[in-house]
Amino acid sequence: MSEKTFLALFSDVNPAAEAIAQLREMGMKDEQMQVISGIPFTAPILGRPHPRTNVPRMAMGGALVGFLLAMFFTIGTPNLYPVYVGGQPLIPVPPSVIATFELTMLGMLLATFLGVFLDSRFPSYRPMEYVPAISDGKIGVLFRCTEEESSRWMDALQKLGAESVSPVEAVQL
Amino acid sequence: MAVAAKPLPHAHTHATEGPDHRESLMFDPRPRGLMNAWAMEAMHETSWKFWAVAAFLALIVLVFLVGAWAWMIMEGLGLAGVNRPAFWGVFLVNTVFWIGISHAGTFISAILRVLKVEFRRPFTRAAELMTAFGLIQAGFSILMHMGRVWLSYWLLPYPNQRQLWPNFHSPLTWDFLAITTYLLSSLMYLYLPLIPDLAMARDRSSGWRKRLYRILALGFRGTEEEWEHLRKAMTIFAFAIIPVMFSVHTIVSWDFAMATRPGWSSTIFGPYFVIGALHSGMAAVVVVLFFVRRMKHMTYFVRPEHFDALGKLMLVISMAWAYFFFNDYIVQWYGGDKWTRMLLEYHENGPLGWMWMLMLICNVAVPWLLLWNRRVRRTPWLMAIIGILINVGMWLERYVIVPISLTINRMPFTWRQYVPGIEIPLGIGTLALFILLYMLASRLIPLVPIWEVQEGQMVHSLERVGKTYVPVVKELE
Repeated sequence: MSEKTFLALFSDVNPAAEAIAQLREMGMKDEQMQVISGIPFTAPILGRPHPRTNVPRMAMGGALVGFLLAMFFTIGTPNLYPVYVGGQPLIPVPPSVIATFELTMLGMLLATFLGVFLDSRFPSYRPMEYVPAISDGKIGVLFRCTEEESSRWMDALQKLGAESVSPVEAVQL
Repeated sequence: MAVAAKPLPHAHTHATEGPDHRESLMFDPRPRGLMNAWAMEAMHETSWKFWAVAAFLALIVLVFLVGAWAWMIMEGLGLAGVNRPAFWGVFLVNTVFWIGISHAGTFISAILRVLKVEFRRPFTRAAELMTAFGLIQAGFSILMHMGRVWLSYWLLPYPNQRQLWPNFHSPLTWDFLAITTYLLSSLMYLYLPLIPDLAMARDRSSGWRKRLYRILALGFRGTEEEWEHLRKAMTIFAFAIIPVMFSVHTIVSWDFAMATRPGWSSTIFGPYFVIGALHSGMAAVVVVLFFVRRMKHMTYFVRPEHFDALGKLMLVISMAWAYFFFNDYIVQWYGGDKWTRMLLEYHENGPLGWMWMLMLICNVAVPWLLLWNRRVRRTPWLMAIIGILINVGMWLERYVIVPISLTINRMPFTWRQYVPGIEIPLGIGTLALFILLYMLASRLIPLVPIWEVQEGQMVHSLERVGKTYVPVVKELE
């Protein structure tokens, strides 16, 4: 049996959250649903499982890489190529702190930025299920089901306050 | 809780006491589609006056920046006024000034985001754009100062042909690392919250704009995962970019304070420079907001309440600047050596003493005399004038610190007053480029983060307490 994707549009978050809860009670799994919206709603508001994100972990990883790079520059390289100037210490600590701070922060922020790209799989220019009404403030609940089941879900969503429920095709954004 | 935020309840029909909250953007919600349409209209529709100003600025950039710089490259740095003892002139004054301007974007966007200050919402992007374009001008000013700009790659820390490994402990490397980190961070911090608005623009465009926004929006749809990644990243950025911002101007101040020169050797230069940067940056945001509101018809998004709030911040920052200035001044005046006292005397009563006095008038007297007044703070054109005056004052402050302070040193036979030459047209050129870039950007990206405004309107409501309604802000995260 082939599955199709349907999109239910809501204008308010409360009916959308209620509808999600009802769909779950009626047997739809969380993995079958996806919410798209023009503003961020947290998982507890929508009653959805918390999306997993690796961005903080990547940020920490980036900070570590930046820190190690700074250690290499400020401690490693003067030891590899020692140049003594005017009786000054080869590895002065206070200036090393500055380079270490900047490179650690740069590593962290670059990794955070990169983390958004990797986690969100950006850029993604393939056709996707979407309607421009989302950026006009509508909340969309995307769900996948077989055609045989579709009328049941569509009726239920309309009763739960959806403005429209219809099959949606992947389109070039 | 409405997504397309609903009009206020009939609060004022039942309770007449208290202010009309509809004058606040957060309590005057409009449908998202309408706000989107206004943002798109601001990008698409521009009058002939806009293009006339843009053409004039482009001409100034061409003659004063490109032409004058090319001339200086051909003729040499002798066209500039820098000479013994003032080898640092207007180029470095402008560098410090533009880096200072760039601080406002981070301050307004990051610090106010961290503190969850709601009035920031409609103008964070306008401020962040200033950061990006201000840093570009600062970079140009450094390159001009170098003279032989084609050798600018010598600044980069890399092992050279003489097999000397670069010294990563050098103050030049501090500058390079700090400014690079800040520029990259600011650009990323500008781009991340822009993605949802670029997706909105993609949905409402056609032709080349559609193609451009499609590429820049990266395929954003607004899924739960995308929002979660964005939210986490913006939180990390907001917290992390604040110490980076402080480090940049502190390191710039150390370029001066590390030298044992009269007037420069000060332990308080770091925070003094940072607060000075915020002073000029906040004032510049007000000026930019005035023009955005007026030229881009953003009266719905940028309201007197925003000028009011910024005016209060400007007043506090002006007081902080005065505190640091006086702290630096009194220690040098009371405890400085004879050269330092001579320098202070030269600042106040020398041939350019009017600059010192005008600096104090613009940075302290003007804000203190005017910004306490609510009516002044809520008058955009007056606030724009105050913002311009503060920026004049802050530019003069840097002029006093750089070339004027270099005039008096411990070798009286080298004393000579600095007179700028080609620096003047080049400085005008960078200013014109900053404005031109801003104007062109206003045609390409939504200056107001619509999704943030709508999110803000969603969390604001009025709650009845006794005989009146009071604003309530919900915490959604």
